Amino acid sequence: MAIVEVSQLSKVYLRGNSRVDAIQDVSLVVEDGEFVTIVGPSGCGKSTFLHILGGFIPPSGGTMRVAGHQVRGPGPDRGMLFQDLALFPWCTVLGNAAWALEVQGKPREERIAIAERYLDLVGLLPFKHAYPAELSGGMKQRVALARLLAFDPAVLLMDEPFGALDAQTRELMQEELQRIWLQTRKTVLFVTHDIEEAVYLGDRVVVFTARPGRIKEVVTIDLHRPRELEIKKDLQFVQYRNRIWDLLREEFLRSRQGVTA
Amino acid sequence: MTLGRHGITTRSGSKKLSTSLPTASRSSTRLLFAWIYPAGSRFQSRLRWLVQALAVPVTALALWQLAASAGWLPSFLASPLAIGQQLVALTLSGELMVHMQASLYRSAAGLALGAGCGIGLGLLSGVSARVAGFFDPLVSLTYPVPKVAVLPVLIVWFGISDISKILIIAITCFYPCFIAALYGVRAVDPLWVWAARNMGARPHQVFFKVVVPAAAPQVFAGLRVALALAYVMMFASEIIGSSNRTGLGFLIINADASGRFDLMFAAIVVIALLGFASDRLLLALRRRLLTGQLIAEELHRAQHST
Repeated sequence: MAIVEVSQLSKVYLRGNSRVDAIQDVSLVVEDGEFVTIVGPSGCGKSTFLHILGGFIPPSGGTMRVAGHQVRGPGPDRGMLFQDLALFPWCTVLGNAAWALEVQGKPREERIAIAERYLDLVGLLPFKHAYPAELSGGMKQRVALARLLAFDPAVLLMDEPFGALDAQTRELMQEELQRIWLQTRKTVLFVTHDIEEAVYLGDRVVVFTARPGRIKEVVTIDLHRPRELEIKKDLQFVQYRNRIWDLLREEFLRSRQGVTA
Repeated sequence: MTLGRHGITTRSGSKKLSTSLPTASRSSTRLLFAWIYPAGSRFQSRLRWLVQALAVPVTALALWQLAASAGWLPSFLASPLAIGQQLVALTLSGELMVHMQASLYRSAAGLALGAGCGIGLGLLSGVSARVAGFFDPLVSLTYPVPKVAVLPVLIVWFGISDISKILIIAITCFYPCFIAALYGVRAVDPLWVWAARNMGARPHQVFFKVVVPAAAPQVFAGLRVALALAYVMMFASEIIGSSNRTGLGFLIINADASGRFDLMFAAIVVIALLGFASDRLLLALRRRLLTGQLIAEELHRAQHST
């Protein structure tokens, strides 16, 4: 069943007399429970695409439906994991994880039980009374993920969530995210600039062109799950990676020409 | 301290309690200290802090008292002992209580009124351009006016009553609170608002559960300034006059008029102590309410100072 249906989506920014086409004619159908990763050259509008889907930015044209409903603004059916996490520093870990349930008016015991369940899932239950500032980067990621899962969105929108982490933590978080995804089977749209991350996590990898962002190609990743981190050394994995790298290189070159022209 | 199998041991495991006094080769007070309070104990570090904090004032008081006893001081500078005696007498007669109550009532009521309006309107101006359009120019225009200048006007309207005092304190406290709240809101990370809306928060929930706590550190900074100003204004309005002859400011000006300098200094000491105590109270409240943000601030500073 298709849960996300995007059709001919475009976004144009007008500043005075200048016109910037951020994304153009993007159409994408995502099945329920699918993990779709999105890669593209920097500035190609992949984050803009995610923000439009989240309802934070209105599109200039096209339609998008999530679970059959037209997107008309932010809502808890599409949970967003921001690049900068946006954890609330005045709330404890538990307070952050239970925040969405609190504004939804769930009774106290119920929301604590749900939040604790997801903190346990990400392995942070022992730190529930800590404040975000007391945690490491990877731990903050886990809190943000638990906060997201706790309000049970139909679709998870992740905007380069591991971009700020060091290489080792990033790999561990990729493995962790796959484990959690296999347990929850949420639909995920995951934006990244890391090709290995995209291949490792995705059922499909959507490759964006340089600005204006269009879908250049969608690569289906036919690798068994759960994927071990060692899979990154497998020939099949490396072939996928090289293929996407070649696609992206054309775009990098094209965007460079665009700059020099 | 835990009661172990092998008798009493201190928490840090040291057995200082049973050791005898070492030979007095080094500073004997320090050794006595270490003997009574085991090294690293919380009590010892607190005591050391107290000794350091009190060293200068106690020495100054001692010199002052010595000079007074020797008769070197003019009559308008009362000795610490005389001031202390006066404080005790004032407390015992219940007179101090009456004046303190009157002053505290005026400053607390003025602060509550001024800070309440200031914080409320400041927060609203921060989130709504329309509200800001009403108040921001008005505040900018009236901010530089010395607030004491309004006091004669208020006295004409309300007499030298409590009302004129409370109002002048409220007006004074309004400004720092309004400005702190307004800029506190303007500095709120818009990503927090996005995240809140993403989680299904309604506008009023975004306001009370994101904007208010996010602006709280700045609001507290404004409150602290307002608190100090409330005492200044309380004193200023009371020395101008008090219809029911109460208040610490009135006590001071009355003592001054009758040449009772010991009484005057006693009242000044009480004002200083009250100011100090209420500032500490506010800081404790801040520590309790803003734990998470204070930790973040501290870590941020620690990371950027190295």
